Amino acid sequence: MEDEVDQDMHEPNSFLTKYVWSQDHKVIAIQYSVIAILVGIVALVLSGLMRLQLGFPGSFDFIDPSAYYQFVTMHGMIMVIYLLTAIFLGGFGNYLIPLMVGARDMVFPFVNMLSVWFYLLAVIVLMASFFVPGGPTGAGWTLYPPQAILPGTPGSDWGIILMLVSLAIFIVAATMGGLNYVTTVLQARTRGMTLMRMPLTVWGIFMATILALLAFPALFVSAVMMLFDKTLGTSFFMPAILSMGQQLDHEGGSPILFQHLFWFFGHPEVYIVALPAFGIVSDLISTHARKNIFGYRLMVWAIVIIGVMSFVVWAHHMYISGMNPLFGYFFATTTLIIAVPTAIKVYNWVLTIWHGNIRLNVPMLFALGFVSTFTIGGLTGLFLGNVVVDLPLSDTYFVVAHFHMVMGVSPILVVFGGIYHWYPKMSGKMLNDTMGKMHFWGTFLGTYAIYFPMHYLGVLGVPRRYFAYENYDFIPDSAKDLNAMISVMAIFVGLVQLIFIFNLIWSLFKGEKAGDNPWEATSLEWQTEATPPGHGNWGKELPVCHRWAYDYSVPGYEEDFLPQNYSGEEEEKT
Amino acid sequence: MSILSALTEKPWEPGVIPQPQSRGREQTRQSGLKVLLMVVSALFFLFIVAFLMRSQYPDWQPLAEQPGHPLFNKNQLWLNTVYLLLASAFLQLAKVNRPYFPQTGLILGGLFSCAFVTGQVVFWQQLHQQGFIVSINPAVSFFYLLTGLHAAHVSVGILAWLVAVKEAIRSDANNKRTKLRQYIDLCALYWHFLLGLWALLFTLLVSKPDTYNAIVEFCGLGV
Repeated sequence: MEDEVDQDMHEPNSFLTKYVWSQDHKVIAIQYSVIAILVGIVALVLSGLMRLQLGFPGSFDFIDPSAYYQFVTMHGMIMVIYLLTAIFLGGFGNYLIPLMVGARDMVFPFVNMLSVWFYLLAVIVLMASFFVPGGPTGAGWTLYPPQAILPGTPGSDWGIILMLVSLAIFIVAATMGGLNYVTTVLQARTRGMTLMRMPLTVWGIFMATILALLAFPALFVSAVMMLFDKTLGTSFFMPAILSMGQQLDHEGGSPILFQHLFWFFGHPEVYIVALPAFGIVSDLISTHARKNIFGYRLMVWAIVIIGVMSFVVWAHHMYISGMNPLFGYFFATTTLIIAVPTAIKVYNWVLTIWHGNIRLNVPMLFALGFVSTFTIGGLTGLFLGNVVVDLPLSDTYFVVAHFHMVMGVSPILVVFGGIYHWYPKMSGKMLNDTMGKMHFWGTFLGTYAIYFPMHYLGVLGVPRRYFAYENYDFIPDSAKDLNAMISVMAIFVGLVQLIFIFNLIWSLFKGEKAGDNPWEATSLEWQTEATPPGHGNWGKELPVCHRWAYDYSVPGYEEDFLPQNYSGEEEEKT
Repeated sequence: MSILSALTEKPWEPGVIPQPQSRGREQTRQSGLKVLLMVVSALFFLFIVAFLMRSQYPDWQPLAEQPGHPLFNKNQLWLNTVYLLLASAFLQLAKVNRPYFPQTGLILGGLFSCAFVTGQVVFWQQLHQQGFIVSINPAVSFFYLLTGLHAAHVSVGILAWLVAVKEAIRSDANNKRTKLRQYIDLCALYWHFLLGLWALLFTLLVSKPDTYNAIVEFCGLGV
C-alpha cells in the first residue's frame, strides 16, 4: 500500500508543475488564498465606494444609483462566496487538512488542482461582468427574481448572466475541492488519528464542507433555473408581469420558490463560513492560552448539531415574504434552538481562556476579537430570529449591522488570525509583530466604529439598500452625521488592510526566521521535518498520532505542550 | 467503529494506537464516488422539490395525461430506458464475472450509454419539431432541464468510462488488472445510480397531477 501511495505522489520537477499546474495541496491552498485575497480587495474597494455615497451623498458624480447597486451586489457576493467560502475551504482547508490529519496530500490531487483552476475561471467570469455593456448585476446579492432579470435593473442584460454562470462554475470548483476534503478526512488520517483526536479546525472545515456539498446544489438549481428564465424565456420563477409598459411572455412562475431555494443554500452558507472560523478560533485560543480546549467533545457535537440544524432555519430570511404563520413559528423556534450549541461554543472559548497562561500574540488578539464581535452579532440574531421583532427591523440597517458583525467581521478576523498563526509554517518566516498589532487594533476598533452605530440607525428605521436619504422626515440629521462618520471609519479600516498586505509581502523577504514550531503548538502540522513542509509533507515515514491536539500545560511535564506525535510518556515524566 | 462510539470517545485519556483502517486507493476512490453521488442526489432532490412546488401553480400542464401531451407517446423514452438498463447490466456483469467478462462488459456498457444519450437527443428533437419548445410551459421546461442534466451526468460518466477503457487496453498488454477492476467497480456503481435516478425522473415526469398534489400535500410543500 505504501508503494501505491508513493506512486501517486508525483514529485514536481519543473517550475510549471511546481507552482502553476501544481497538485500539491500546499501550493493549491496558497493559490486559492491569493486569488481570494485579490478578489476580496476588489470587494473592499467597492464597499468604500458605497460608503462614499452614503456618507457624502451627491459628492461623487461617478456614483449614480445604478453604480451604487452594482457596488452593493458585487461587494456582497464576492465577500460571501468568492472570498470567505473560498479562503476557508480552499485556502485553510487545503493547507491544513492533510497536515493536521497526517496525510501526504489530498486523496485526489488532480481533482484538487482542477478545483482551483475552476475557481479562478469563476472569478474571471465574475470580474468580466465589470467590462460588459451594462456592467455587473445590481440586483442585490440575493439576486431575487423577477427584478434581477428585468430591464431597469442594472446589469440585467449581461451582468446577471455572467453572475449566474460564474456561480455555477464556482459550485463545480467547490464540489471538486469538497470531495477531496471530506474523503481525505475520512480515508487518509494517519495511524492513531481517530476522529476525536482531530483538531477542531479540521472538524470545522470538515462539517462546513459537508454543508457546502449539500447546500451549494440549491444555489446551482436556482442559478440554472434563473438562467433558463433569462435566456430561454421559461417561467420557473417569473410571474406574469408588466415591464416598462410591456406585457412580458412569462407567466405563472413563483419568485417565492426562488427565495426558498436561495435561502436553503443561503443559511447553511452562513455556517459554511462560520464553522471553519469556530474550529480555527478554538485552536488559536487553546494554543495561545496554553490550555486544553474546554469541553472538546461538546465542541465537536456543537459543530455537528449546528451543521445539521443549519438546514432547518432558512425561512427566517423570508418572514416578510409571507408564509403560513405556523411556518414562521417553526422557523423562529429552530432559529432560537440553534443559538444553544453556538452559545455553548462561546462559553467554552471563554472557559478555555479562564486561568490560561495567555500569550497575547497577534493570532490570539484576532481570536479574542472574534469572540467579542461574534457574541455581539449573535445576540442581535436573537432579535431578528423572532418574527414579531424582525418585521419592523427587516430591511433596516439593524440587519446590515447584524450580519456584518456575525458573518463579515467575525470570520474575517479569524481569517487574519489564521494567517498570522500559520504564515510561519507556510513561508518559514514570522509576520512582523508591530504591523500585526497595528492591523488588529485598526481593524477591530474600526469595524466596531462602523457597525455598532448601524444598530442605532436600524432602530431609527433607516432603510437599507437606499441610494440616498434625502427628504425622509423620520431620519434626523444626526443619522446623516453618523453615516458620514461610519464612512470615514470604513475608509480607515480599508486603508489599515494595506498594512496587512504590506506585511505579507515584506515578511516573506525580511521576516524573522520562524523555525518549525514558533508557537509551541501540539498539532501535527507543526511537527513536520521541514518548514515549509516539502512535497509529501512527512519525509519517509508518516507520523503516528498518540494523543489529542490539546495537551497543553499537562501536569508533570517540563514542556507546557505535548505534540500529537509524542509518545514517550513514561520516560520524560519528571 | 460506529459513528456513535467514535463521537463519544474521550480523546484526553491515554489510549491505544488503533490499527490503521484499510485505506487503499480502491476504498478511497469508492468513498470519493459515494460523496459525489451524495452531492448529485442533493442536486436532483432539490430540482424535484422545485418541480413539485411549481406543479401547484394554476398554469401547470401535465406532460403525459392525454393524446397531444408531449410525453403521451413514450416509446422513444422506453427504448432509451432499455439502453441505460443494458448499460448498467453489462457493467454489473463486467464487475461480477471479472475473470471472463471485464473488457466486453465494460465496452458494451459504455456503448449502450452512448446510445442512451443519443436517444435522448433524438427525443428532444422530436419534441422540438412538434412545437414543444423549452419555454412553452413550465412542465416542458422542467422536462428539458431534468433530462438534460441527467444526460449531462451520463456524458460525464462516459468520459470516466473512456479512462477505464484506456486502462483496459493497457492492462491487456501487461496483464496487471487491479486498477481496471477498480475502475469497473466505480463505473458500475455510478451507472446503477444513474439508472435509479432515471427511473425516478421518468416516473415523476409522466405521473399525473393528482400524484404531485398528493406528494406535495403529504410533504407540506405547498407555497
